[in-house]
Amino acid sequence: MNALILSAIWGVVMMFSGIFTKSGAAIRGIAITGLALLLVVNVLDFQGTALVDINTRGMLVYNTFSYMFLNIVFGATLLYFFLSGSDMERVGLHLAEYFALIFFILAGISIVASFQTLLMLFLGIEIISIPLYILTGSDKRNLKSNEAALKYFLMGSFSTGLMLMGIALIYGSKGSFSLETIGAGTGVITPLLGGGMLLLLASMSFKVSAAPFHFWTPDVYDGAPTVFTSFMATIVKVAGFFAFIRLFETSFGSVQAQWQLFAAIITAATLLIGNITAVFQQSVKRMLAYSSIAQAGFMMFALVSLNGKGSEGLIYYAAAYSLATIGVFAVLIKLNDYTFEGFNGLGKSHPLLAATVTICLLSLAGIPATAGFMAKFYMLSAAVENGKVIWLVILGVLCAAISVYYYFRVIQAIYFKDGEPQVAEVSTTFKVVMVLIAVLVVYFGIFPQRLTDFLYMVY
Amino acid sequence: MNTIFQLVWLIPALPLIGFFINGLLRNQLPKAISGLIACGVLLGSFVLSVLVFLQVKAGAAQTVHLFDFINVGNLKIPFDFKIDQLSSLFLLIITGIGFLIHLYSTSYMHEETNGHFARYFSYLNLFVFSMLLLVMGANYVIMFIGWEGVGLCSYLLIGYWFKNVNYTAAAKKAFVMNRIGDLGFLLALFMMINQFGTLTYGDVFAKAGEASTTIITGITLLLFVGATGKSAQIPLYTWLPDAMAGPTPVSALIHAATMVTAGVYMIARSQALFVMAPVTTNIIAYIGLATALLAASIAIYQNDIKKVLAYSTVSQLGFMFLALGVGAYTTGVFHVMTHAFFKALLFLGAGSVIHAMSGEQDITKMGGLRKKIPITYITFLIGVLAIAGFPFTSGFFSKDEILVAAYEKSPILFWGGVIGAIMTAFYMFRLLFLTFFGSFRGTHDQEHHLHESPISMTFPLMVLAVLSLVGGLVQVPHIFGGHPYFNEFLAPVVNSVEHTGIETLEYALLGGTVVLLAAIIIMTFKKFSVDSADGEYTGFKKVLANKWYVDEVYDFIIVKPIRFLSKKILVFTENEVIDWLVNGVGRSVQWTSRQIRLVQSGQVGSYVLLMVLSILVFLGIQLLTKK
Amino acid sequence: MQIGLTHILVLSATLFFIGVYGFLTRKNLISMLMSIELMLNSANLNFIAFNKYVWPNKLEGLFFTLFIIAIAAAEAAVAMAIIIQVYRQFKSVDVDEPTIMKE
Repeated sequence: MNALILSAIWGVVMMFSGIFTKSGAAIRGIAITGLALLLVVNVLDFQGTALVDINTRGMLVYNTFSYMFLNIVFGATLLYFFLSGSDMERVGLHLAEYFALIFFILAGISIVASFQTLLMLFLGIEIISIPLYILTGSDKRNLKSNEAALKYFLMGSFSTGLMLMGIALIYGSKGSFSLETIGAGTGVITPLLGGGMLLLLASMSFKVSAAPFHFWTPDVYDGAPTVFTSFMATIVKVAGFFAFIRLFETSFGSVQAQWQLFAAIITAATLLIGNITAVFQQSVKRMLAYSSIAQAGFMMFALVSLNGKGSEGLIYYAAAYSLATIGVFAVLIKLNDYTFEGFNGLGKSHPLLAATVTICLLSLAGIPATAGFMAKFYMLSAAVENGKVIWLVILGVLCAAISVYYYFRVIQAIYFKDGEPQVAEVSTTFKVVMVLIAVLVVYFGIFPQRLTDFLYMVY
Repeated sequence: MNTIFQLVWLIPALPLIGFFINGLLRNQLPKAISGLIACGVLLGSFVLSVLVFLQVKAGAAQTVHLFDFINVGNLKIPFDFKIDQLSSLFLLIITGIGFLIHLYSTSYMHEETNGHFARYFSYLNLFVFSMLLLVMGANYVIMFIGWEGVGLCSYLLIGYWFKNVNYTAAAKKAFVMNRIGDLGFLLALFMMINQFGTLTYGDVFAKAGEASTTIITGITLLLFVGATGKSAQIPLYTWLPDAMAGPTPVSALIHAATMVTAGVYMIARSQALFVMAPVTTNIIAYIGLATALLAASIAIYQNDIKKVLAYSTVSQLGFMFLALGVGAYTTGVFHVMTHAFFKALLFLGAGSVIHAMSGEQDITKMGGLRKKIPITYITFLIGVLAIAGFPFTSGFFSKDEILVAAYEKSPILFWGGVIGAIMTAFYMFRLLFLTFFGSFRGTHDQEHHLHESPISMTFPLMVLAVLSLVGGLVQVPHIFGGHPYFNEFLAPVVNSVEHTGIETLEYALLGGTVVLLAAIIIMTFKKFSVDSADGEYTGFKKVLANKWYVDEVYDFIIVKPIRFLSKKILVFTENEVIDWLVNGVGRSVQWTSRQIRLVQSGQVGSYVLLMVLSILVFLGIQLLTKK
Repeated sequence: MQIGLTHILVLSATLFFIGVYGFLTRKNLISMLMSIELMLNSANLNFIAFNKYVWPNKLEGLFFTLFIIAIAAAEAAVAMAIIIQVYRQFKSVDVDEPTIMKE
């Protein structure tokens, strides 16, 4: 609850800070302070120290998983601010507003991390989505940015319409929005409830860009300013997954047999489309958009298997995937040329950046001894434990092999090709944070236990 | 707990430290220092390995617990090292031969710039680290981590000279082929988790008895698919000859002595599973034999000194799998060891030849080097004798044991093995004579520059030569008054087969070997110890023109058909079948991708229409499947 | 004739599919926005109808519609801003105009 309140307040603070100062460094400083505070109050909240005591009447319920997840989200956002905060200035003049919007999105994420009724789910998703439409179109003079914002908005509000209709149908059959009431006694699926469930499945799949509801992703990620693509593709996406799993686990967990097939089909389609299409992209940015679809396919395993290992794996995957992707995007933003050739010779001219980005790419490809490998391992073994979708596990392993191809194309360009990459000035902080990310990726790859233990016991 | 076991983690940690020092400071360190660090850490690991080995020999095998790796629900995977007879033996081979190759590399790579020199050694160290992890791990997950690690390092090392596009392509081919094999391995792991709920060796083997034969066969087949990738068996062998693009010491280390034996190690380690799956072991035996024959026949046709050795590696690996397939697990491991000695020797010798020839690799342009580089010649000769199975060299003992084991299984395997051994002798002596005998056929510049390599290169050659000569004495067959020390040592981990009542066969093999080798030596000497400067084919034709009756018969009956066949096999299997398969997969992926990209039309309307249609399809499925 | 739940549900379903149809067929961005509003309002109608006929002793459905109306207003505001921006750049409010990115 603390995190929700503070992030909403800090969003307003950020908006007003733009009036009092025009200095980018000062605004960044305020944003980073706010995020650090968020992290602290979230930890305090877990220990039982609430800032304000509000009775939500069971509409928001924070459990251990919510706190773990929020910590990861805030931690990743903090690293993202350190790495890419200064690049936001290049998007446009309204730096303070961009930060404000990001804080509002974080408020939305705090809601979807704890929602217990469909009303809160709807509000949370909308609070995340509307600022994202604005951020996507924030590069106002860029045709691509405008086009992306338009597409994102149109398709996003269409999926909102589907979701509302789904919620209405569920309300009609159950008379309540509470996840637990819906989940209780859902032995038989009436057509009303079944239709509502399918519409929710489709609209949530849209939010996490799972095929065949993924079409917006490549265009929007490609068109949006790269700094914001980085945020959307990582933190927002994993938040969507968290909501997805929470919704289906609590409300429809007892009738999993009714929808597991659909979830499995969606997963398979996502894996195939994401991986195969990523192979033939010419722009690294667009490749990363498809790679985020491919990674979403792996996160979908948590939904398909729906067991403890899957939920824990999702937390782990969220951390591993966000860290690595933020790292890769941070370096990509610094480059002038977003094609694969843009990376040529980076290994020689910027050995440190090259090494750290390579570790991130290795993690995304799921090479052992990186966090990405353990994340995939968790997900696949969760599905193995479920036992009903072994064919999907085989497909997952195959797709992981395909993914090596396109991630290694970047590594190959970095180390095995000659060129003069044009790289913007990077600060020492940037380098330090990149090294930190690389170290974390390897550390969590070797001691995966530490992440989950740490998240369970830090308080 | 013995103190040495508390230090066992240092064995892999030392090369890792070397990797970090050389990798991070590669632009600061002078060559002497980075070479010293790389060799020093390996020497340290080797000394520790020897100490560990002695302890194990005294009967102190144990599992060393380091920390908890994965602990999810009921799946527990500790980060443990299993130090037993099998792994300590591999430790000796990897660190020992690894050290010699590092030492050799300090001279061989001396012309590189400081940064590249250190980069090379950091990769080598990382490779050794991964390989050590692979053999020391006490469960399949650690083995898999090492397994992927060696694949990654070989990618880095093959593509070391990255300026050359072909080399990077070869590197990528190696990596992708390995990944295909790894898929099998990974699927086997998941099957084991599903079936046994654990991946620790001991627990898996203990629970294996409860599973049905079908399951075990499935797991072992998948494991074997993994092994075919790493150990270059049909159909995933083509990466290995291409992998010769890397520096020669790399070929010696990775593609001869260590990495490719990972598959053999894995199968020997999982022996408890494989003995329960006769179907799998039969497949292994026949694939091994087919690989041995195919690769040997191709080797006869090659002119690049490293290519000959590369195909011979594939062929020898085939022999090892043949041994594993017929149930002679210790024999397979024994051949791993002897092969590590003589193949490292041959590769390093070839490196020394290439060094002397200023980078020339075509054996038709060599000749008469025997007098110019005597140490290389003598050591190379010993290597050739060993691989050809000359009596009482190391290769003789290991190869004869394989043949004996195959004989007890099936005559096809035995005679196939014999033919493979004959071909091996043929192409190795051809290589020897073309390179070192006759007169020099290269350019004057090359002749002028001919020189023996420095001591840091010849010293490893000499050590390896001695090992190749005497390395087989640890397991001398009964009839020569020997004792199977090797089998006894491995007995607690790996079962061996007892050969009884086969004295006649042993004598026949000894006699046959001597006669055949003599015939092959004379034949190849006459054919390939040529003076002509026009290269092999003219030389070969000249011999033909001399109308040696015997030669013509040989040519007609053996050489020509073999060469014809090997040419056909090479062209057909390599270019048609395998490339077609590999390219076919690539093409179909490309095609699918193009179709998917058409859907991504950029138009919101069509996107939404597709979404609505998929929802309708889902609704339809739900209505139809409703009970 | 008594107006019952079925009638209202049929009405709202019709509205919903008119919305979907309009969204798919219209090229004008303003019309598409209106189509989305139709979809949202049909959901509102559903909420009210279910509240009135199926769960008369509860109020949750009514309140949900209030939230939907508020959110829809926010969305429309952002939508208008985006559409104006698109119009400035592409000189058109046709949805097929901005298709630089594909594949």
